Amino acid sequence: MSADKPSVSYVTIWVWLLLLVAAGVGVLGIPVSKAVAVMLIFSVATVKAVLVIRHYMHVRQQPLMVYAMLGIPLLLAIALVLVLMPDIAFRLR
Amino acid sequence: MSVMSIAEQPHAVSPEFTRQPLGKVGMWWFLASEIMVFGGLIGSYILSRIAAGGWVAERAHVNTRLAVINTLVLLTSSLTVVEAHAAVDAGEQKRTRMFLLCTVLLGCMFLGIKGFEYSGEIEHGLTPASGLFWSFYYTMTGLHGLHVLAGIVVNFCLFIAAGGRGWKTIQHRVEYAGLYWHFVDVVWIFLFPLLYLA
Repeated sequence: MSADKPSVSYVTIWVWLLLLVAAGVGVLGIPVSKAVAVMLIFSVATVKAVLVIRHYMHVRQQPLMVYAMLGIPLLLAIALVLVLMPDIAFRLR
Repeated sequence: MSVMSIAEQPHAVSPEFTRQPLGKVGMWWFLASEIMVFGGLIGSYILSRIAAGGWVAERAHVNTRLAVINTLVLLTSSLTVVEAHAAVDAGEQKRTRMFLLCTVLLGCMFLGIKGFEYSGEIEHGLTPASGLFWSFYYTMTGLHGLHVLAGIVVNFCLFIAAGGRGWKTIQHRVEYAGLYWHFVDVVWIFLFPLLYLA
């Protein structure tokens, strides 16, 4: 994080985060299929995470090296799920 | 073996290469390793859940209301910790201490609510031995809770240090502690829907 003045106030981001929590919980009350509900819930969670990472952790102001440091383990964690998914899918058949 | 001078050190650890204080690079490395810890755990949970057919019955026993309150508490603590960093940068000692203390109190509140939630579940006989869902539930929320506890200890130490004369020397430490705290918040942002909503 740097001492640069934030483009959006921290309180504004916090209000957005609270609204997104309400939106995420509110999805449970919408008459949609389970798959759509799960997709919406995780989309909302991702937006919340991006807001925290971008505005509170100030990742945007970090050098490329930080993106590589955080991106590689994140991709590995996602790859872990994706490469094992076919095994689960075939077992369920 | 001769001792390496700073000029001889590998470029990968020199501030010219990283363009950041080394303490901050260390914190980013630590967070990268934490991504693998929680990523592996969350990945295993997702795969096990799909293989087990969804754990719908088990999920119905978790207390979503308390989890929502805890989410609001943790998001608010993220605001207070970033305000503490802004205050220390602005040289405002009182505000820095106030926001650090708020972060500590909100962290304690999170753990208190989580403890209350655990006690209710254990009273109903839902322990880590009750099934795979509950093993994952207690492991993931327990590990996350330990991270919150570590963050509370660090922020409390900074709160004490911010009361002294040389308080401005903690500027970088407040920043690093903030990065860690936000990471713990981001982990909860995903644990909440995984365990309580989806």
